[in-house]
Amino acid sequence: MSPEEIQGIFFLECEESLVAAEQGLAACKAGTQDSDTVNAIFRAVHSIKGGAGAFGFEALQAFTHTFETLLSDVRENLVPITPTLIDLLLRALDVLSDHVTAARDGGSPPEDASLIREMEGAMANAQGQHDAPGEPEPTAPTHAVTFDEDDLTSDLDLDDLLNDLAGGSPAGEDPSADGPAGDAPAPETGWKVHLRPHAGAMRNGGEPLLLLRELSALGAVACECDTTSIPALDDFDPHQGYLGWTYLVPQDVSEASVRDIFDFVGDDCPIAIGPDATIPPIQIEPSSTLPAPAPSAPKAVAPAPAPVAAPVQAPVAANPAPAPAAPAPAPEAAAGSAPPAAPAPGQSIRIDLVKLDKLIDTVGELVIAQAMLAQRLQNENVQSVEELTLLESLTRDIQESAMSIRAQPIGSVFSRVPRILRELSASTGKHVNLQVFGETTELDKTVIERLGEPLTHLIRNAVDHGIESPEDRLAKGKSAEGTLTLSAEHRSGRILIKIADDGAGINRARVFAKAVEKGIVAPDAVMSKEEIEQLIFAAGFSTAATITNVSGRGVGMDVVRQNVKDLGGRISIESEEDKGTTFILTLPLTLAISDGMIVKVGDQTLVVPLTHVVESLRPEPKDVQGLGASRQMLNVRGRFIPVVSVAEAVGAYDAVDNPSQGVLIVVDTESAGQAALLVDNIWDQRQFVIKSLDTHYRNVDGVAGATILGDGRVALILNVDTLVQGAVSAGFGLEAA
Amino acid sequence: MMRKIVLPARCDRAAAEALLPEFQAALGAGPLSIDASETRQIGQAMLQLLLSARRTGDGATINPSSALRDAARLTGLENALFEGNMV
Repeated sequence: MSPEEIQGIFFLECEESLVAAEQGLAACKAGTQDSDTVNAIFRAVHSIKGGAGAFGFEALQAFTHTFETLLSDVRENLVPITPTLIDLLLRALDVLSDHVTAARDGGSPPEDASLIREMEGAMANAQGQHDAPGEPEPTAPTHAVTFDEDDLTSDLDLDDLLNDLAGGSPAGEDPSADGPAGDAPAPETGWKVHLRPHAGAMRNGGEPLLLLRELSALGAVACECDTTSIPALDDFDPHQGYLGWTYLVPQDVSEASVRDIFDFVGDDCPIAIGPDATIPPIQIEPSSTLPAPAPSAPKAVAPAPAPVAAPVQAPVAANPAPAPAAPAPAPEAAAGSAPPAAPAPGQSIRIDLVKLDKLIDTVGELVIAQAMLAQRLQNENVQSVEELTLLESLTRDIQESAMSIRAQPIGSVFSRVPRILRELSASTGKHVNLQVFGETTELDKTVIERLGEPLTHLIRNAVDHGIESPEDRLAKGKSAEGTLTLSAEHRSGRILIKIADDGAGINRARVFAKAVEKGIVAPDAVMSKEEIEQLIFAAGFSTAATITNVSGRGVGMDVVRQNVKDLGGRISIESEEDKGTTFILTLPLTLAISDGMIVKVGDQTLVVPLTHVVESLRPEPKDVQGLGASRQMLNVRGRFIPVVSVAEAVGAYDAVDNPSQGVLIVVDTESAGQAALLVDNIWDQRQFVIKSLDTHYRNVDGVAGATILGDGRVALILNVDTLVQGAVSAGFGLEAA
Repeated sequence: MMRKIVLPARCDRAAAEALLPEFQAALGAGPLSIDASETRQIGQAMLQLLLSARRTGDGATINPSSALRDAARLTGLENALFEGNMV
């Protein structure tokens, strides 16, 4: 793996850590302030710091150092958790997130000096209250300060984790109160594990005591510590591991779970398990200079007597000697007595996205091949083959699994929202409570990535324009703080995302007046509630200076709608005066595969995405009425919609031009309302794999992409929106307005 | 004439490395008194240093914090570290 790739993983982990910290702080804010929560935040920040040091992001590292120190003090109850402190931590987290972004994108790190001072102030204040007055150096009385800084680059400070695990006892607490190993009597029965951390286990910030804590968390108790190798001070080398231990592990703990603990230190901390095993021998490394990490260190001393699959040992204490190395009968017995180590829940691996996309691409080809096979058999008059049906259902299963690998919970988008709200709260003075539902709803990674921007804008919009100022809210009999509700759910193959505020709702009269002023609608236009609401999506209808004067940031609502449309989604509004506004986004679960109608237009075969199709019909001659020289309107149950000739739009030859001889597909578009597409006939309706035209050719107006049909021919996928818009503005401009 | 060494809050390997000269310098000046009452985190290197100090010369007494006691209990070193302590 190249350093760049490792760095990439680091940034991925940073993102995960930031999310974890954010969640932890949110929990703290909500009142869950136990040590687990604080530890989780600490660990998140700590892991970012570790990586930052390793990759040489100094600004990031320096900032996380202060942040981490503050969190460490919080964890040790030196700094009390107050709303002010949580606020400070949240702001620090925001800056940390900026730091990570800056480090990743090579930008300049954010201004953090004042925040660092503030954090140091918080620590100093609390120390002042805690410690006896007159203590000059608050954090570390003696030498700690000096080497602490040097230590930054060389060690990852994993020592800090010491207190995280199991036995983290805040200073001043009754020592007998904690830890399973506390004053509890040694387990009556159990088996022994012998171990000896070598110098390597302490290198690079490794800390053997951390492993011992984990062991102790399983209920193991130290029954012997071999201190015989400790030299006198003159010969003492702080880099060496002189100690060896024997721990008594409770009977019900599996050997695998103990081995798991020591797995990642490997040869640096050999362990031995078995009745005849003893503490592995000491291994002094050539001292003084930085010792090379001797990879070929004698492995023989390691857990030789017990191979990995060895069964759990018979009770050592109760049954000391009589097992004269007879491991043969053990397996069944062990299987019965000791539960196998349960696989850790939620195991995951990282996959390079390119590989995943390749897989999905191949699955796409498989879908096409399967369709081709079906077509071929049909041509040969071989129909309703059972195996083919099976193949089809299997292909669909594989496709779904492949897509589900790409799927991610929408929580990763939602998790950014608290920060947006904090920033808005700072700039507008409106405090907003956030409610999130369905954050585990999964959808395609591409959709998730492109969802961030429109969602951010909708949220800013909701707070800027939707939720009233605290005074107004109180005057209306609402609570001073507004509530923003985000929810996501699957509905019939699409995902539904709602952004709801409990604010003032859309002031339709003002929206209408503004639209008239901007020349978007005629002053005497008669519009329904919904139509007026849709006006805020009109281009040029900037949200800035619309309803309040708080400036919008960047994109307007028309861009939001465009973004959503690009994702193959739709956006709609439900708004009630003084009750609030809800924006509803409907998005496809994936962008790679879609359902569509395969239509024939003259010499062309085209695909109409099913998401746009309302209905299809073969009109009676009286249903279609001419308008002017060449335009035609379709009468759909008393409503007239323009007929768009697809043949004209795509330049197909020999197409049907009389609607009553062809088929009309009524489609719904975002920009131009409904229209009826005139095609020769409908061939089929099936799933198709979208191939981008952009990447293989170039963007073509009216075409969303291409797909390969069952017979191997390429068919263009119509971009219904731009197609209808183009046709309507050319021939039906007045009627459609 | 008791030499007194105060341990920092974070007693990791770097701390052990930094304090080793001080420990060595205190040798031969009578029993050593180690004030670990401020110690909040402790690693194996420092435990080893403390053990070594107790075995060298006139030995040492340790005034432990709860974190150090905790670590000693974890590692089964309570006797080795604190036996004969006058706390």
